[in-house]
Amino acid sequence: MPKILLVEDNEMNRDMLSRRLQRKGFEVEMAVDGKQGVEMALTGKYDLILMDMSLPEIDGWEATRRVREADQTRAIPIIALTAHAMSGDREKAMAAGCNDYDTKPVELERLLAKIAALLPQ
Amino acid sequence: MRGLETAEAVAELRHELRTPLNLIIGYCEMLLEDATDPGVRNGLEQALTAGRDLLERINGAVPPSRSEISGEEIAGLYDSLREPQGRILEATSALLSVANGDQQFERDVRRIRSSAERLLTIEVSQDTGAVRAVLTAEHPTRETAAEAGPSITAHLLVVDDVEDNRAVLERRLRRQGHTVEAASGGLAALERLGKEKFDLVLLDVLMPDLDGLAVLERMKADPGLRDIPVIMISALDDVASVVRCIERGAEDHLTKPFDPVLLRARISACLEKKQLRDAELEYLEQVGKVIQAATAVEAGSYDSGTLGEVGQRGDELGRLARVFDGMAAQVRARENRLREQVEALRLAIEEAKHKTRADTPRDMALPSGELFAGRYEILEEVGRGGMGMVYRAIDRDLGEQVAVKTLRPELVRDPAQIERFKSEIRLTRHITDRHVVRTHDFGERDGICYLTMEYVEGITVRELIDTRGKLGIAPTLAIATQLAQSLVAAHGKGVIHRDIKPQNLLLDKDGGLKVMDFGIARLAGGSNGLTEVGMTIGTPDYMSPEQMLGETVTEGSDLYSVGVVMFECLTGRLPFVANSAMALIAKSLREPPPDPAGLNPEIPAPVAALVLRLLAKSPDERPAGAPDLERLLSELA
Repeated sequence: MPKILLVEDNEMNRDMLSRRLQRKGFEVEMAVDGKQGVEMALTGKYDLILMDMSLPEIDGWEATRRVREADQTRAIPIIALTAHAMSGDREKAMAAGCNDYDTKPVELERLLAKIAALLPQ
Repeated sequence: MRGLETAEAVAELRHELRTPLNLIIGYCEMLLEDATDPGVRNGLEQALTAGRDLLERINGAVPPSRSEISGEEIAGLYDSLREPQGRILEATSALLSVANGDQQFERDVRRIRSSAERLLTIEVSQDTGAVRAVLTAEHPTRETAAEAGPSITAHLLVVDDVEDNRAVLERRLRRQGHTVEAASGGLAALERLGKEKFDLVLLDVLMPDLDGLAVLERMKADPGLRDIPVIMISALDDVASVVRCIERGAEDHLTKPFDPVLLRARISACLEKKQLRDAELEYLEQVGKVIQAATAVEAGSYDSGTLGEVGQRGDELGRLARVFDGMAAQVRARENRLREQVEALRLAIEEAKHKTRADTPRDMALPSGELFAGRYEILEEVGRGGMGMVYRAIDRDLGEQVAVKTLRPELVRDPAQIERFKSEIRLTRHITDRHVVRTHDFGERDGICYLTMEYVEGITVRELIDTRGKLGIAPTLAIATQLAQSLVAAHGKGVIHRDIKPQNLLLDKDGGLKVMDFGIARLAGGSNGLTEVGMTIGTPDYMSPEQMLGETVTEGSDLYSVGVVMFECLTGRLPFVANSAMALIAKSLREPPPDPAGLNPEIPAPVAALVLRLLAKSPDERPAGAPDLERLLSELA
């Protein structure tokens, strides 16, 4: 069962997205801010990280950079999630080291397809 | 409303507006995955459609490409959002009314609803241009929310060395309905706690005389204070200091200055948790009493009515206690009955023993004193039958008395048969019941296969019937009940005896019954024991019709045999008697058994009826299983 780390500060978003992913057969662990997200990424063994970008403590951009800097987490695929959807967000996410990018509201099928594309077979 | 003039501000507005929609759409879609009720589906679909409408309108008015938006445009957008928002509120009201106590569903629907409500409270600040959700007049403000509404009120102790802090906190907590005492330092707090009972302590961390952490440590070390929840208050909000507090047993940590809403929520949560914990402790204590009572029943020392207090509870535990008390009384009555029956059986055994002592067979295949299989010192022969001989022996390795049963060589001829036999023995060894003779080991030595078993000093039911004739009602029920109990254990492990007969039922001197040779009839080859070899093992006297016909042998087949044993115990004869095995089989398959009460008028009608039910030709008409038989026997007065 692939293990996903969901980094999201909004409690309801966390609840909803984690439950929807669990229903699709993923094991989901959650962090409530960027700092906790980085700490968990370094210690847990995750197959993929879903990273909200507007986070307290350390924002998603910075958290992504830190995950990319550490040897043990460098290779974990990260999908950025953001509700901003400003033009340029996608490029910014890629530049920060995300492998893909999706906008909120989440279209589950689309997100699942992106997750599937990034998970090791 | 003020307009927005930078791309970041517009993005922020877009973010604020889209976040609730993420929740509305996400929860609706997820709940739809589970919903089957058409009304619920309809409501969820309405809310989902309205949510998508909202999203479309927001995307249209505030696309990612925009870098500014005027106040009028924002107001226009909001106007256009009211209608779909109204649809969500309407749909969620309907959904909540049909939630039927499904708490998860209700919570999720409320989240859809609160997200929809939140939408139009998003405002652009007049002063700063910052975008954020502002609770408007229809919603309670933060301060009123902090003070409104009934919640748990309690007796609180506020500990802070700064007088102003204490005063503010006291006032605020009183307004929330609590009664509050204050202490100006750690030592004063401990003194207070020693005198008065508090529900919760708000404890400042930094204090001059004795700091908060030290007070906390002393409280947690004191059994009288340990259970009072403590919320630490401090201006320090770094993770390390919060962790220190939690690690030392604080329930929560609040940072100064307090957010009134948060303060209220944390205190309520803390008190709620405490109440739950108290209720849980009380519950567990009463569960403990029920468990104690169960232990007492097992030990035979339970007094009816011990659970009086627990039995007065209005909930399920109370019901359990009442039912338990009633059952315990019944169990006791049944045990007394069984004890009397066993006592009658014991007297019968004693009499029989005097008569059987004299005639033990002499021609032993293994002479006494011989060391068999390098381990078992043969003492005497204690029985013989179709299967082979049984000896009492000393296991030299363990220094214990055992029974060694040697099997006739023609019974175990080929390796496959030995394997099958071994696997049967393995199964049998899993049965641990005081009414089942424990099988220890299976081995082969010099072409002789043998079994070692627990040695039981006593006589068989066969010997008992042979010396006494019929046994009377009470001894028969004592035998049948213990036999049924052994079958409950064996059938529970998937082992069918296949050869229940008086020869296999051992009685110790106290009337305790132990069943031998579980599953060993299999050895006779074929499934019914009626092969050429099998025929020589014994008679089909106790065999069920399905066994005779070579059909599938089930638990019910053992029950039939119990019926024959009971019949014989009660009447001194078998239900079917014939000159040859073939004639006997034909008779048992065709004829109904005679009514035992016709042969012995002392047999009460319910006992006779049970025996006849056990002797039903079709397994379906017999009791449903060994537990059922045990119950039926216990109900016979």
